[in-house]
Amino acid sequence: MRLTVPRFTVLLLAAALGLGAAEPVALVTIPAGTYVPLQRSVKDEPEVKVAAFLLDARPVTNGEFLAFVTANPKWRRSQVSRLFADASYLEHWAGDLEPGPRAPLDAPVVRVSWFAARAYARAHGKRLPTTAEWELAAAAGYTRPDGANDEELSRDLYAWLARPVPAVHRAVATGRPNLHGAYDLHGLVWEWVDDFNTAMVTGESRGDSGLERDLFCGAGAVGAKDTSNYAAFMRSALRSSLKANNTTTSLGFRCAK
Amino acid sequence: MHLKSLLLVALLLTGRSLLAGDAAPPSRASTLLPEAPKPACCKPAPKPACCPATPAPAEAALPFTAESLYQLDVSFTDDTGKAFNLGELRGRPVALNLFFASCGYACPLTVTDLLSVQANLPADVRERAVFVLVSFDTERDTTAVLAQYRQQRQLDGNWIILRGTDDAVRELAALVGVKYKREADGSFAHSNVVTILNAQGEIVHQRLGLRGGLEETAAALAR
Repeated sequence: MRLTVPRFTVLLLAAALGLGAAEPVALVTIPAGTYVPLQRSVKDEPEVKVAAFLLDARPVTNGEFLAFVTANPKWRRSQVSRLFADASYLEHWAGDLEPGPRAPLDAPVVRVSWFAARAYARAHGKRLPTTAEWELAAAAGYTRPDGANDEELSRDLYAWLARPVPAVHRAVATGRPNLHGAYDLHGLVWEWVDDFNTAMVTGESRGDSGLERDLFCGAGAVGAKDTSNYAAFMRSALRSSLKANNTTTSLGFRCAK
Repeated sequence: MHLKSLLLVALLLTGRSLLAGDAAPPSRASTLLPEAPKPACCKPAPKPACCPATPAPAEAALPFTAESLYQLDVSFTDDTGKAFNLGELRGRPVALNLFFASCGYACPLTVTDLLSVQANLPADVRERAVFVLVSFDTERDTTAVLAQYRQQRQLDGNWIILRGTDDAVRELAALVGVKYKREADGSFAHSNVVTILNAQGEIVHQRLGLRGGLEETAAALAR
């Protein structure tokens, strides 16, 4: 069954629920730390120092993205350039300005491209987190800074990875926050990072033949610091496989400042 | 006065060389019609005597095509310090390469290859074809460094060398599928891709890697 809700009702609902742009998402402070890249060039530092920064406590929702496309027509599904978002951009929304039953207003927005996520962040005076920032934030467990040793987190994370992507995502921030107060870094959707295209694992064996020689530190996992971090490898693989206009059913984003 | 400036002025005044040897239908030529003056966003040209401050008649009134890279709404700066929008390239075939001036391996090879492509183009195409280098070394590749690069490599007025904010360069790189990453020593790992754009700014060809593919690159420019 398909519900049809008049557009203004959706907008009113969004406003009433505080899901529009007027109600800013809470930002949490991620303390300074170090990020150890999974794979690195022989010339890279083994650790990346990350300064403290602010991160949205949860992913951007359909309601918030609705307010964004309402204010910025060029990012509406019917008007966006294919250059900046592929054909499945917001495909699950009922209409241009109507998320509809498959995209609840309080669920994370997915099927958005890197360009769209960046434009959204810019419109809110924010930016996308870098890979290092995102991974640092996501490294924390529920109750301890080293999430890799947080058994509960690992259990939840791997249970999530084993589940297929649901037809309709659940609401954001309904799970358990991590030590920094951030929700859904694991267990809801994948998230864009600003420098996704620094992941240099490309399929262009011909094009990058000059790079392979000195770019990668051994064969990926062999040179990796923590080979047990399967989820991090999945994220890395995802990032390196994406193009900036790609959209997928399980890829959303959150902003940083 | 720069050769490039002379050429641009010539283009502004006549628009003729844009069309020289161009067998395109009228609809394509019509994209060369003047458009309204650009908003006062760009800083004034440093040498008003040399270049028109606002290239009012240079650009087209029509919107860019759906696949045109010129939809990217970011501004770069050229090696004379002048603000440069990619849309200014509309109407000309373009070879686009991302690079950094202190690159010791791939970038100089690519520039050498592009110089030979340029030299071997038929005269009418050579007159119109633009070779655009955009630096991803947003810190070290200042206007002065880029101007020096032009001298060292003896790049003529049909070469445009640009720098931009990290945001601008990252979005352009994403559009042409170039991955790059600053190394701890300040150099860059990057993919080697030369992108050929048609008069509308649409990608018509990409040369991947450092070997071969020059004939195809030249052919794409002449198409």
